[in-house]
Amino acid sequence: MLALAPRAWHVDDVRTTRRRRETLTGFTLLAPSLVGTVVFLLVPVAVALWLSFQRWDLVSPARWAGLANYAAVLTDAGIRHSFAVTILFTLLVIPTQTVLGLGVAVLLARRLPGSGFFRVVYVVPWICAPLVVGLVWRWMFDPSTGALNAIVGTRVEWLSSHTLALPAVAFVTVWTQVGYVALFFLAGLAGIPPQLSDAARVDGAGPWRVFRSITLPLLRPTTSFVLITGVISSFQVFDTVYAMTEGGPGGATSVVAYEIYSEAFTALRMGRAAAIAVVLLVILVALTLLQRWWFGRRTTYEVSA
Amino acid sequence: MRRGPRIGLGIGITYLVLLAGAVLALAPYLLSLLTSLKQPVQLARQATLTWPAPWTGENYANVLGGQYTLLPALVVTVQVVLVLLVGQLVCSVLAAYAFARLEFPGKRLLFGGYLATMMVPQVVTIVPLYVMFAQAGLRNTFWGIVLPTLFGSPFAVYLLREHFRGVPQDLEDAAKLDGCGTLRILRHVVVPLSRPVLATLAVITVVSQWNNFLWPLIITTGPTWQTLTVATANLQSQYNGNWTLVTAATTLAMAPLVALFLLVNRRITESIAVTGFR
Amino acid sequence: MERLSRRALIGLGAGGLLAGCSIAEDPASDSSSGGTVVTVRLWDDTVQRAYEKSFAAFREQNPDIDPRIEMVPWASYWDKLPADVAGGTLPDILWVNSSNFGVYVDSGTFLNISEELPDSIGGWQQTVVEQYTRDGSLWGVPQLSDAIALFVNDDLVGDTDVSNLVWGGADDTFLPVAQALTNRSGARTQYGFNAGYDLQAIFFNFVGSNGGTWQGDAASGDDTYTFGDDQKSVAAMQYVVDLINRDQVSPSAADTNDNGDFSRDQFTQGNMALFQSGTYNLKNVADSAGFGWSIAPALTGPVGRVLVTNGIIAVGNAKTAHKDATLKVLEWLGSAEGAGYIGAEGAAFPAVTEAQQSYLDYWQGEGIDVQPFLDAAAATDVMPAPHGARAQTGQQAADEILKEVFLGRIPVADGMKQAQDAANAAIQE
Repeated sequence: MLALAPRAWHVDDVRTTRRRRETLTGFTLLAPSLVGTVVFLLVPVAVALWLSFQRWDLVSPARWAGLANYAAVLTDAGIRHSFAVTILFTLLVIPTQTVLGLGVAVLLARRLPGSGFFRVVYVVPWICAPLVVGLVWRWMFDPSTGALNAIVGTRVEWLSSHTLALPAVAFVTVWTQVGYVALFFLAGLAGIPPQLSDAARVDGAGPWRVFRSITLPLLRPTTSFVLITGVISSFQVFDTVYAMTEGGPGGATSVVAYEIYSEAFTALRMGRAAAIAVVLLVILVALTLLQRWWFGRRTTYEVSA
Repeated sequence: MRRGPRIGLGIGITYLVLLAGAVLALAPYLLSLLTSLKQPVQLARQATLTWPAPWTGENYANVLGGQYTLLPALVVTVQVVLVLLVGQLVCSVLAAYAFARLEFPGKRLLFGGYLATMMVPQVVTIVPLYVMFAQAGLRNTFWGIVLPTLFGSPFAVYLLREHFRGVPQDLEDAAKLDGCGTLRILRHVVVPLSRPVLATLAVITVVSQWNNFLWPLIITTGPTWQTLTVATANLQSQYNGNWTLVTAATTLAMAPLVALFLLVNRRITESIAVTGFR
Repeated sequence: MERLSRRALIGLGAGGLLAGCSIAEDPASDSSSGGTVVTVRLWDDTVQRAYEKSFAAFREQNPDIDPRIEMVPWASYWDKLPADVAGGTLPDILWVNSSNFGVYVDSGTFLNISEELPDSIGGWQQTVVEQYTRDGSLWGVPQLSDAIALFVNDDLVGDTDVSNLVWGGADDTFLPVAQALTNRSGARTQYGFNAGYDLQAIFFNFVGSNGGTWQGDAASGDDTYTFGDDQKSVAAMQYVVDLINRDQVSPSAADTNDNGDFSRDQFTQGNMALFQSGTYNLKNVADSAGFGWSIAPALTGPVGRVLVTNGIIAVGNAKTAHKDATLKVLEWLGSAEGAGYIGAEGAAFPAVTEAQQSYLDYWQGEGIDVQPFLDAAAATDVMPAPHGARAQTGQQAADEILKEVFLGRIPVADGMKQAQDAANAAIQE
């Protein structure tokens, strides 16, 4: 017994040492990224939460504000309006860019000669900084010297009109995103085996029927991804608004991200800005989970031909 | 030959639609380029859709060497992007390998945490980050611009982990038998095999950091540390209405990325499709 | 792109090491010449050129001090100020105007010039000194004195006499002239006048020339906004708005509301006949206008020619790290020699009285008669500039509504009342 015990103990010891070394290595490798994530992603969320209960302008000491900032989010007309503007903006942008992106993808998927060229051209609007794109379009929409009015022929005051400003910003966003969305749908379409649609066609189904009953359902993973990421980024739009309208005219394009920026860096009401940000976080997380759940129940990932 | 879903549109109409879309995609750039080559007096006196007469480079000269020259901002942006590229790639590769190949307590929980933080949008973190950085005295410094994203992103870790898990284990085992430590395995086995994904991530990092606006806007003040996007915005606000000058500035601001894009466009389009990153 | 070779890695590393070195001149970093750096912030690039010459002379006399200029665009100048005060990143010296003055004096942000440079005060224009005296002390060094007059495109106006145009009432001589000078039939419209939402150049002068008021009396410390209740102010604004929307002699508010330089650019490009503006645009017009132009007195109203005069001061940061150097530069800026550069090239009208002659001499040399500006600057019956501790906040609250009035979306009387209430509410907070 005593003669055997030392050998068994030795094997275990090696295993534990190796495991300990692996743990050490693992955490060492993980450390920089972990530090970054904790300090610059998690801690700020906690700080935002703390800030949302303070009244602070960075100069005077921070004072406890209780739920006053959240009350402001619910009651302040400007803040409520910015949420409404953002929702309206999302409703304008997301369906449009998804449908158009899908349409472009379908056309490109036909692999006609020159499709590669078109693919590159359609992605160019997405490559450039949204801020710079916004400035280019600000010129395009200029009432006196802009190209758009020159093409259309009449003088339309796009960006100073309460009714036209938000659609104009939405249009620019769609314009930048269509090529990008199309690429996802292209990848999704490429993953659909052609045998399915061929079989359906042999059975006499017309092209629209095939599209509706086979292609679209099989595209659901892609569609869900495009919709989820699209909604999240459309709720955060800032650069384009800053470049084109600065939230105007009269708040017609003042989206939530712009409102947070104004509250924090123009009015120096850090607490209120943080409260709006926290509310936005809750909304976005809820939307993400909702969409994932809704699409999760209706998606077929496996395509066995 | 793969033809994709047929929806009954003839070839002619397909080309027509694609061409119309392409014109719409390129027209603003071309028109603004044209404007930037005009003299201000021509834009003020003549109709917009005329050729420059005479063609002039004065707007570009002003943007490159004038009051609000974009050159220092260009240099700052290049510096920022380079530092972030190195930092993000290194930190993400290390972390992803740890998640992919090593065992340690709490691994699953930590990775789940990473996935959860991907849902935190940027607008939520900028106000607290600004407060934190202001208190730490990092306002208007190079490191103030760079630190928040220097240590990689959860998304990059997620992507790389997926890829590393697909690397054949035998190669790593062989290296281990030869006595290689983890870092050597990474450097000599795993990373060389992951060049496509790493190149993809590099492209994503360069594009998104080059175009970053909100964070540099709030963390910098004045001409010293402003990035290209912030400098362009400032130029527009100073010369509001001077469209020949502003379009020259926007063309210059877009040129590097468009050039990069044309060089590596296949990499970029593949990366978008494969990774789904914005 | 495929192979991340060792050489590329080294290159990246080297690039990373260069990080932290900005090639833009950092105003706050240690001077290469070894002196104390004093940062000076302003928004006007014409005066900036004059300052550069002025500071070159200063450096020769004071080699141990290095003043550096930091330009911030007008559009974001005032937005950055609260953040900079809060973050402690204010420059050592900066320009302020009367709208962004009171609240900072009250919070101790500026150096007290009455205490620090008492001997220089006599050399400065009295109106500007009074404008920036608060609680018995002067809080900045007067730099510019703005006056308003009418720029005339001689080629477009021709023989028509525009030296004494009167608006409003039955004997309105201005409107027919403006209408005759407006021509909408070309590729670009030729405008007669620059009516627009411009406080300093346009509507304050119309309100004053109609006997209206904007706020309570500054001398008695009453900053309440009164323009909505004052019928004369409302009538004056109605006239301006009509010029834009009904008579259409001026560019649309959509062009001018958010772009303060639109009308100036129209004038310098030859698309506008009469351009009412201040000395701050004189150099700009002279440099850019490619046609014959001259200066006439500003428009006269039913009550007279009551124009707004405004001064700009350079304040010292009370929390500056180099107080002595800052005060030296401020003293220089307030001296006849230092401020002389501002006038020597006609950049702006200096508020330092002895330096004003250089301005006159320059424009005389250029063949431009600037007498209307001088008369306006010397006038005794003036429209007070915006005043009060929170003048910027109040005016911004009014701006939002008044811009809509100018766009024609709200009737003038209702809009002015709403704007007045909004402004008064804003300064209460």
